[in-house]
Amino acid sequence: MLMDFRLSEDWDEDFADLASVEETDLRYYVAPGDVMLRSGQTDLSANWGWIPLIDFALALVEIADALSAAEGSETFEFTESEAILQFDRVGEEVTITSSYAPGEIRAPLPEFRNQVDEFARRLDKALSQKHPELELNPEYQRLKLFRSR
Amino acid sequence: MKSRQFRRVILVSRILILILVAGWGISMAAGQVAAGDTHQQVTLNQWAIRHIQQRHWPDSPAAGAGKFAPGITEESLRDMIYEAVANGRSRENTHGRSGEIYEYDFGRPIGTTINGGPASRLRVVINTRRQVVTAFPF
Repeated sequence: MLMDFRLSEDWDEDFADLASVEETDLRYYVAPGDVMLRSGQTDLSANWGWIPLIDFALALVEIADALSAAEGSETFEFTESEAILQFDRVGEEVTITSSYAPGEIRAPLPEFRNQVDEFARRLDKALSQKHPELELNPEYQRLKLFRSR
Repeated sequence: MKSRQFRRVILVSRILILILVAGWGISMAAGQVAAGDTHQQVTLNQWAIRHIQQRHWPDSPAAGAGKFAPGITEESLRDMIYEAVANGRSRENTHGRSGEIYEYDFGRPIGTTINGGPASRLRVVINTRRQVVTAFPF
């Protein structure tokens, strides 16, 4: 399973001071991009350019936490559309489906957990390098995009 | 005698008409205040409008996002958001996002879904300070 991101190049980075923007800004407006999510022939990527990547990473960490704790289902709602990603854990396997593309991705729970954590770690690193002022933002620090930071 | 009674009837009728008109005026004023209060429930700032226009305006190139029907204006957007918040169903935002989501079915096409089909519902996302974060048809 591949889970990755691509930061959008045409983001209006001057809209606000990244050192002081609030949580909602971080989760809806800052750092938009694409999400790549595929395995074998199944491609559930969302190459829409506008997905707020901080929000996506935070939500997936929460979903991974919930599914690691117990079997069940979790739904990720995209911020700007009715599209969803559905995550179902049965036994030690997680199945991912979407409302916008056919097919399903199956992955062992530890692999899913690892992919989510790696996604968040890489995003945190990329944002810290590209926008060091985020390190000064107390809301960004509080959100703990990458938990072992 | 009959003339005096007739004048009395006329006078009473005028008083009744005045009372009715005054009552109607008061109820209308009260209605406006209620509507005003409804509008006060959320605020829509220029940044949010710009965000919605970039993602959801009819000519927006953003893929994977619902679009408003041609003819939408800032004013009609405000009206739709106020109506959705006043009459729609609300729920907490999901997965750690703060604030609330309102969804309202206008019963008529207001735009298109991400698949290009007709959309009659509006989703409005509100932060904890009752500011509109985004809004889109679905």
